Amino acid sequence: MKKIAFIALSLLLAVSFWNCEKDDICAEGTPVTPRVIIEFFDATNQTTPKNVTNLGVIATGFTEGFAFNGTNKIEVPLRTNVDITELDFVLNGADNDPANDETVTLTFNYERSNVFISRACGYKTIFNLTNVLPTDFTGTWVSSLTIEQPNIINENETHIKIYF
Amino acid sequence: MKHILKFTFSLVVLFSITGNAQDSIQKFPERYGLRVGVDLHRLSKSFYDDNYRGLEIVGDYRLTKKFYIAGELGNEEKTVDDDRLNFTTNGSYFKVGFDYNAFENWLDMENMIYAGMRVGFSSFDHQVNSFKIYENNGNYYGQTIIAPGEKFSGQTASWVEIVGGVKAELFNNLYMGFSVRLNYLISNKEPEGFANLYIPGFNRTYDGKFGAGFNYTLSYFIPIYKKKK
Repeated sequence: MKKIAFIALSLLLAVSFWNCEKDDICAEGTPVTPRVIIEFFDATNQTTPKNVTNLGVIATGFTEGFAFNGTNKIEVPLRTNVDITELDFVLNGADNDPANDETVTLTFNYERSNVFISRACGYKTIFNLTNVLPTDFTGTWVSSLTIEQPNIINENETHIKIYF
Repeated sequence: MKHILKFTFSLVVLFSITGNAQDSIQKFPERYGLRVGVDLHRLSKSFYDDNYRGLEIVGDYRLTKKFYIAGELGNEEKTVDDDRLNFTTNGSYFKVGFDYNAFENWLDMENMIYAGMRVGFSSFDHQVNSFKIYENNGNYYGQTIIAPGEKFSGQTASWVEIVGGVKAELFNNLYMGFSVRLNYLISNKEPEGFANLYIPGFNRTYDGKFGAGFNYTLSYFIPIYKKKK
């Protein structure tokens, strides 16, 4: 019986150490706050994907942004502390020549809700797009924009299509 | 061990002979009764840890020579300040089970080295104080911290514990004890939109169903009746 008590005690001790592993680091691949997935298509032939060249995306008033080149699918983050995000989409903005820049400012209006993920990851925000402004793109490099999926809950689907 | 026993035995015989005693060997009756106490760890932590307030009352009742009915009753309020969230769990719990004393006491000693089991129940709620939003690729706009969060009431959980510990008599009827516990969750009613990251009595939860705990008790033995050995 004494042996059993000893074994039980050692077991307890071992388990208490073995328990001190992982679940403190947010595992890679965990679905966290989704970004808006935007796909680009040809304005004249609307089913044909069209790659962007040196597209710069930058929040209004920011000095650093995101650069995309040679892809027709991009992802951009929304603000998680307010219900509005303004982003400048600058065609040729990611190259060194400021003279060829063409800017369109898109305003995303949405509702937010915060969802608990886990101890290590905390919470994520999911969005429900109410609209994206402007609706009239006359005189800009964008031809038109459609919201494909207003519920932004993951990054697996395309939320917005832009034709240019 | 044998030598010590032999030695003690000879000593007892020696005393009984030299002491002109009528009995050849003095017999010590086994005492039965109720032992109640308090967990010193939880009590002291309430004073030095601002994020913790708790109390645990412990008790056992000697049923047979080796078996004790044992239990704990407690209340805890713990604020967990993790990297990504801060929450306060508040609730009460009780545990019932038995202890088996594996220690062979000599003479009138009444110490214990024991193993036991408990079933634990806890009822509690969580208040989320603040949390951070996790965003991929760093936080372009800066870290969003939301406070306060929701309150989740009416959570319950139950579990089994394997207990191992010691109890030693310090003075007359006053005992000091230490026990470690391995916990395994049986039921866990989790709130919608949060998780039971801490369960009063069970302690911190992990990805699986296992947990661990310990206590450090000071208790007083109330003798009720005696039995010959």
